[in-house]
Amino acid sequence: MMKKADDIANGIRAGDLRSISRAITLVEDLNSLTIGREIIKNIYAGTGKAGIVGITGPPGVGKSTIIGNLSSKLKAKGKKVAIIAVDASSPFTNGSFLGNRIRMQGNLYRDGIYMRSLSSRGSSGGLSRSTWDAVRILDAAGFDRIIVETVGAGQADLDILGMAHTIAVVLAPGLGDGIQAIKAGLMEIANVFIINKMDRDGAFIAMKDIEDSLALTPQNEWKIPVIGLDSMKMEGYDDLIAALEAHLSFAAKDKGNEKSRFFHEVKAALLMEAESRINSLTVSSMSGITDLDRKIRDKVNPYTVAEEISRSVLDPSS
Amino acid sequence: MVDGKSQSLFKDKPIKVLLAKPGIDGHDRGMFVLAKAFRDAGMDVLYAGLLPTPEEVIDTAVNEDVDVIALSLLNGAHLVVFRKVADLMKKKGIDDIAIVGGGTIPDSDKPKLEKIGITGNYGPGTPLKTIIDHITERAAEARSRKLGIA
Amino acid sequence: MNDVSSFWSEKLKKLDERDKTGDPAYASWKREVLGKWRKDSQEKEYTNSSSMPIKEIYLPGDLEGDLAGRLGLPGVFPFTRGIYPDMYRGRYWTMRMFSGFGTPEDTNSRLKYLIQHGESGLSIAFDMPTLYGYDCINERAEGEVGKCGVNVSMLKDMEVLFNGIDLGKVSTSMTINAPAIVLLAMYMAVAKKQGVPLDSISGTVQADILKEYIAQKEWIFPPEVHLRMIRDMMVFCTQNAPRWNYISISGYHIREAGASAVQELAFTLADGFHYVEMGKAAGLSVDEFAPRLSFFFNSSINFFEEIAKMRAARRIWATVLREKYGASTERAIMLKFHTQTSGYTLTWQQPLNNIVRTTIEAMAGVLGGTQSLHTNSYDEAWALPSENAVKVALRTQQILAEESGIADTIDPLGGSYYVEWLTDEMERQAYLYFDRIEKAGGILNAIKTGYIQKEIANTSYRRQLRIETGKEIMVGVNRYVEENEPPIKILRISRKAQISQRKRLTEVLASRDQERVRHSLEKLEGAMKDENENLMPYMIDAVESYATLEEISNVGRKLYGGWKEPVIV
Repeated sequence: MMKKADDIANGIRAGDLRSISRAITLVEDLNSLTIGREIIKNIYAGTGKAGIVGITGPPGVGKSTIIGNLSSKLKAKGKKVAIIAVDASSPFTNGSFLGNRIRMQGNLYRDGIYMRSLSSRGSSGGLSRSTWDAVRILDAAGFDRIIVETVGAGQADLDILGMAHTIAVVLAPGLGDGIQAIKAGLMEIANVFIINKMDRDGAFIAMKDIEDSLALTPQNEWKIPVIGLDSMKMEGYDDLIAALEAHLSFAAKDKGNEKSRFFHEVKAALLMEAESRINSLTVSSMSGITDLDRKIRDKVNPYTVAEEISRSVLDPSS
Repeated sequence: MVDGKSQSLFKDKPIKVLLAKPGIDGHDRGMFVLAKAFRDAGMDVLYAGLLPTPEEVIDTAVNEDVDVIALSLLNGAHLVVFRKVADLMKKKGIDDIAIVGGGTIPDSDKPKLEKIGITGNYGPGTPLKTIIDHITERAAEARSRKLGIA
Repeated sequence: MNDVSSFWSEKLKKLDERDKTGDPAYASWKREVLGKWRKDSQEKEYTNSSSMPIKEIYLPGDLEGDLAGRLGLPGVFPFTRGIYPDMYRGRYWTMRMFSGFGTPEDTNSRLKYLIQHGESGLSIAFDMPTLYGYDCINERAEGEVGKCGVNVSMLKDMEVLFNGIDLGKVSTSMTINAPAIVLLAMYMAVAKKQGVPLDSISGTVQADILKEYIAQKEWIFPPEVHLRMIRDMMVFCTQNAPRWNYISISGYHIREAGASAVQELAFTLADGFHYVEMGKAAGLSVDEFAPRLSFFFNSSINFFEEIAKMRAARRIWATVLREKYGASTERAIMLKFHTQTSGYTLTWQQPLNNIVRTTIEAMAGVLGGTQSLHTNSYDEAWALPSENAVKVALRTQQILAEESGIADTIDPLGGSYYVEWLTDEMERQAYLYFDRIEKAGGILNAIKTGYIQKEIANTSYRRQLRIETGKEIMVGVNRYVEENEPPIKILRISRKAQISQRKRLTEVLASRDQERVRHSLEKLEGAMKDENENLMPYMIDAVESYATLEEISNVGRKLYGGWKEPVIV
């Protein structure tokens, strides 16, 4: 087992695509946590070199198209690019159609860009954990730029974005009143705004709207740029790359940022550790810690019981 | 704690399947029916889009670490094109991704395809359940190879 | 222009008023007579491909309003009963059998054979590389050259294809879409070489790119680029080749992609309206160009539904062209159409059953008033049809025409309560779609966002599930299944076509005037960049320099790239 994790880790460091892909499969799978974790422990020292860009925004604004074009352009500038796209799974059957790839197809193979789709299912923390691990794997494999695509809705997506050095929020004209709500939720996390589909009516108004809102919010050292894109005519991409690269350098200088990200990483690892311990509890194992029958008879509330047993559940020596 | 026995690895992970028409053939009605059916059967489904080359299909399959590649062609070029995919897999030493086929494949061509590892080779009108069962079976085979226990 | 944007909803309002009441006798009959007759009323649901619930019986009360006005008479607005006053008494529908395979030489001798046997309407199918704008020497064409049709990679191939055939005397239908403008340029170049003036060539290119994005998925560039090429063909032909039909607006492929009858009807006509608007925007008069538009429908297995669809199509087209687009001549508003029997309903199990299915579908086409008909061969679920199978398919049409008597009187089902109700309902539901499409930003936007494709994929999946659960029967597939069926004999195309096509192309590439090729492609590129230029003359110039189909297509590929389809699952 350990040997297997080491083999895969060596493959990752050598940039072998099959090792990279297999490792992501392992960190994606809840039943492979042990080996997945061994791999991450093994490669972690080699991470921290890649620039991680989160691209988020509501469905239909053209994120996949932008990422496809952006990654080709980055590639042309000599960067090694990898993409992780998070797809929403069907709420009914737990199956999913990983469709983001279709919009990027063609460019990917031609330009040698690695792309992996992850589907959002399982526990709330599961997706962000596996996405973080996938990014670490790609980082250790020597990719210079790792682009993570999400729809930016819900806590899981925000957790995913927490690991990015730079977050770009994509909006498009024609979203109607929805744009206000989306803007409200994503305003705080955006480092760059993208208005896509500049050929459409209302694009300039949408751009102006964002700029006006930004003018009203207190800004720190980083002035959030608003970039207009026309993906049909391939216009605006040079500006976008300049903005993303500028923010990546800005973020690299920010040591507080690094500490906060590491804090989040450790916290996520702790949560995962706790979650897996708690999930592994059964009626009989819990009965071994406390007398459940008696608690029921005495009508003791669950919070008090949880406080009583939490130490023994979470104690790593147990 | 989570146990580390390899048999239990992937047991809850959905089957990941890549649907692809690797020739010059845009007849995709069946692809979309299958995509929906596989998704509704709980699989993670990828579609390779219009006119992928065999190289692109393999690249996608490797990047996504799929369990099964499901190929389809209705243009009569299956012997030439399916073989290209199988040959490329072999050349890259990939033995832990299964290939299944479908489309307008005459009975007399099926043994030739099976010989190079392409099974199923279902024609139009095949019940979805038959196809899903076959994919599930081939996926299990691929999975055990991925874990090195086959 | 408020009155124009509300055209569809106004129409709908009127149609809704028409069919409200139903027949008073129905409810009491159902209660008093049917109810007492069968106590164990069965649960089976009766519905057609368009998910319309079908009643036990239709009565006069199901046809409210001015029925005579909705029907008209043969050759009279709104043409519900047929576009010509004499219909099949004048002459039978054209029995047009699609051909094309292998090398241009192979197809040339087939065409000559057909001409010797009295056919003057040629219909040509092209292979996959040609349809996608790739030359036979492209690596991707490996194994596909000449497989599903004839391969044409450059003018030399077209010259061979029509060698010894006088283009002034035949009418040629070419089933070609994305590269239609290039193939038409080649055809015109051959005509010029033969000394036949452009105003005496006649025929059709399919060139319906909208349905490619919807259904058949054979495109090269983004939609706007192809639409511009179609516009240029429309304008050029209207001015120079007035006997050339430049678009065959096709529902066939939409249906084959899994659409219902009403979706086929609505989406095809919506495509048609888009082309009309394009022609008008290009400054052509509707009365001048609309007669050059024709349609191509699918005839599937639900007999009455198909007939109703075709009758509704004529009525809608005539009404909308007159009322919304201001057409004033009869020729501009009458909907002419070609029909092909469904490929979707053919089964590879018990293939001889397909002859029966095709007969029913062909009959629906005739009773629906088609102008021409292609009957599929029973082995087509497998491969290109064998010669014997093609003969049976053709004989099917001849039996219908000359033995069955169904062509003896015009629109024999006219006045049937059921067929008229179905026709009205098809019309109403088509208008519902037109209204929705308009709200989705027009047909082009509805396609680019995947709305139309999603509607079709949902119908297609729903139907598959109905078959799986036995709600819909396919004989030999989910009922009356036979084990161990003997394999049928199928036609295989040899690889010889690929070898000889590649050889010819390689020779021409080595011997042509490279400077002239380069120059003509440069001029073409310049013209492409200028929206106001008509590309047709540049295309003719390029093919005449022996630039290949792929080289010409690459000019556009370089400028505009390809197109990524929306995700629809």
